[in-house]
Amino acid sequence: MHVVNRWRSWAWVLPALTLLLVFVYYPIVENLRLSLYSWSAFSAQPTFVGLDNYRTAAGDPVFWRALRNNTVFAVTSLVFQVGFSLVLAAVLEEFVHQRLRGILRTIYFIPAVISITVAGILFSFLYNPQIGLLNRLLDAVGLQSWQHSWLGEPSTAMWSIIAMSQWQSIGYTAILFVVAIQRVPREFYEAARIDGAGKIRSFFSITVPMVREMTTLVTILTISGAFLVFNEVMVMTAGGPSNSSQVLGTWLYRNAFLNDDMGYASAIATVIFVITLLIGAVQIYVSRRRRIEW
Amino acid sequence: MTSLNRVGIPLAAVVSAVALAACGAPSTANSSAKQADLTTPKEKSGTLTMVTKFADPKYAPYFVDVTKAYEAANPGVKIQLEQVGDQPYKDKIRVLSASKKLPDIYFSWAGDFANKFVRANLAADLSSVVGPDTEWGKTFSPAALKAFEREGKYYGVPIDLDAKYMAYDKQAFAKAGINSPPDSLETLLADCGKLKSAGYTPIALGNQYGWPAIHYMTQLNAYAVKPDTMAKDYNPATGAFTDPGYVKALEQFQSVVKECASPSANGLSHEAAQANFINGKAAMHYLESLEFLALTTKGGAPKELADSWDFFRLPAAGGSPGDTNALTGAPDGFMVNAQSPNAALAVDFLKFMTKAQNAQKLTADIGWLSPVQGSATAENSFPQLQSALADMSKASQFAIWLDTVTNADVANAYLSGVEGLINGSTTPQDVIKGVQDAAEKAKKQVG
Repeated sequence: MHVVNRWRSWAWVLPALTLLLVFVYYPIVENLRLSLYSWSAFSAQPTFVGLDNYRTAAGDPVFWRALRNNTVFAVTSLVFQVGFSLVLAAVLEEFVHQRLRGILRTIYFIPAVISITVAGILFSFLYNPQIGLLNRLLDAVGLQSWQHSWLGEPSTAMWSIIAMSQWQSIGYTAILFVVAIQRVPREFYEAARIDGAGKIRSFFSITVPMVREMTTLVTILTISGAFLVFNEVMVMTAGGPSNSSQVLGTWLYRNAFLNDDMGYASAIATVIFVITLLIGAVQIYVSRRRRIEW
Repeated sequence: MTSLNRVGIPLAAVVSAVALAACGAPSTANSSAKQADLTTPKEKSGTLTMVTKFADPKYAPYFVDVTKAYEAANPGVKIQLEQVGDQPYKDKIRVLSASKKLPDIYFSWAGDFANKFVRANLAADLSSVVGPDTEWGKTFSPAALKAFEREGKYYGVPIDLDAKYMAYDKQAFAKAGINSPPDSLETLLADCGKLKSAGYTPIALGNQYGWPAIHYMTQLNAYAVKPDTMAKDYNPATGAFTDPGYVKALEQFQSVVKECASPSANGLSHEAAQANFINGKAAMHYLESLEFLALTTKGGAPKELADSWDFFRLPAAGGSPGDTNALTGAPDGFMVNAQSPNAALAVDFLKFMTKAQNAQKLTADIGWLSPVQGSATAENSFPQLQSALADMSKASQFAIWLDTVTNADVANAYLSGVEGLINGSTTPQDVIKGVQDAAEKAKKQVG
């Protein structure tokens, strides 16, 4: 009886496991193997080059620039999509009138349902140096000196893309936090109020600790999203100007499909995999000890 | 679960993944170089696959019309036509090559872009049907055929003639007191100053994807470097880029941007810059003859501009050592998949597409110049197109686009380097150093 149950549970799990194996694990291992070769769409035979592709990556300034861009993306996203979002969610739940709450939640969430490509093109128009709204607004308030060709200068291109990404995702993570905050029992807040705690104190002492599972989840999503970013950059700058806004995803694409160097692209893909795997593993380990018992 | 299961199950999963991976090998291009049979089939039947880069609604209908006409004339034949955009085509064709799904007929730019397919045995040798001494080959202009020639063999069928010209608004020039188009680079720079005083943006440049600036460099390089040296450097096996002319060309481009365009050009698309020219804010615009249609009323331009524009070649600086009669441009063409079982049928369709009637339709419908001789007449082409054709035949040679004539690494080094020149973040010396490094890398890859 015991044995029959075990085999039956295996039967239910097997299809999903097979899909995972074929579409996730196999490509990862195959990619690792391919990164040890030099090959392209046009090469007659892939040549084994060992760790050459990784050495190229280590010596390639654009690779390090891309890694730096991804890291800046991740840190900024953490600040806005985790930190600021949590504050926004708390404000929505605590300070905003019941009737306004639904409308505001919808307004904040709408950017998240717009396709990334559409949002990218939209922001390209906003950032247009001649007719874009941003430069026109700066002109109208007298700040002409702050006008830039936002997507055309190496110093502003990456930040413009990051800004657009925050605009799109803050609403999404805020809604996730709203859900988590709603699960916190009201008695805690009442008890704190009786003890004389103000709103800010209860935010830090009750809300923040009680939503830490959601915080862990959102942090993992945000950081891995920052290292996997592709659409926004591709649509707005394609990695330019002069490779200043390249991220690992777009640099991989450029090398695989425009530079005809798929071995190098596979090496970059492996690096992305290792980074996101490490970050995810660290996150899960750190938060494992601190599960919340209701 | 027992501790053995805790370790055993994930371990089994990883081991089976590795085993699966070890069985496979990366897809490779077929290495056999069999000669495709190209004799016209007696019975025309089968399915042809074709991919072009002309998804633009201005141009796509022509190709749809031609394929439908061929299908109507040959009921046994079905043509699966797929059209994508210019930028997406570059990666789509590589994906198709890598997964061994290269279509029977596919578009190609001239230069090393086409040579890649030749080296990988993916382009059929068409010398026996379209070579310069064949019946079909004689209908084309010789320069157009030569663009797809490699080591004496002809691999591509040219479909259009294209060259890069500086269009200018005659009214703007009159207002700025300029009597005739500049005949040297120095005069051009001076004219830009006059245009700025008259309130115009001298040259509309939108460099978002990097290739518009590369087209300037193509012309400037051809002027600044001797043809033999340039041909040697553009060949990936022997490229060095050590001639000082390359740095001079970069410096010339820098002054053009400084005097005539704007440092924010990288944030503007080519189409947005063209709109500036069409609505009269800019006085000049460097564009391809394929785009001339957009400056006519048929193509949507306002009558004011459509009636008063003309063009000139980007002028050389005084004392340039290179070929001052070289013209930036190249034909585009189609190649036939060497591994295709339908190669003969593909050739027959391409013959149909380039016969006189269809070549004239090309010029009449979408305003392109066809490499088929005698296809542009007074009835089917507007005056500027005819002068462009006449000018092209005077050119000593075509200077093929720098980003397709060279190896991809060198092209990319130029693309990103010149972008930096525009917004002032790099110097000409930095750019040429990047190009030289890329040329070294390319030599190793090809050699």
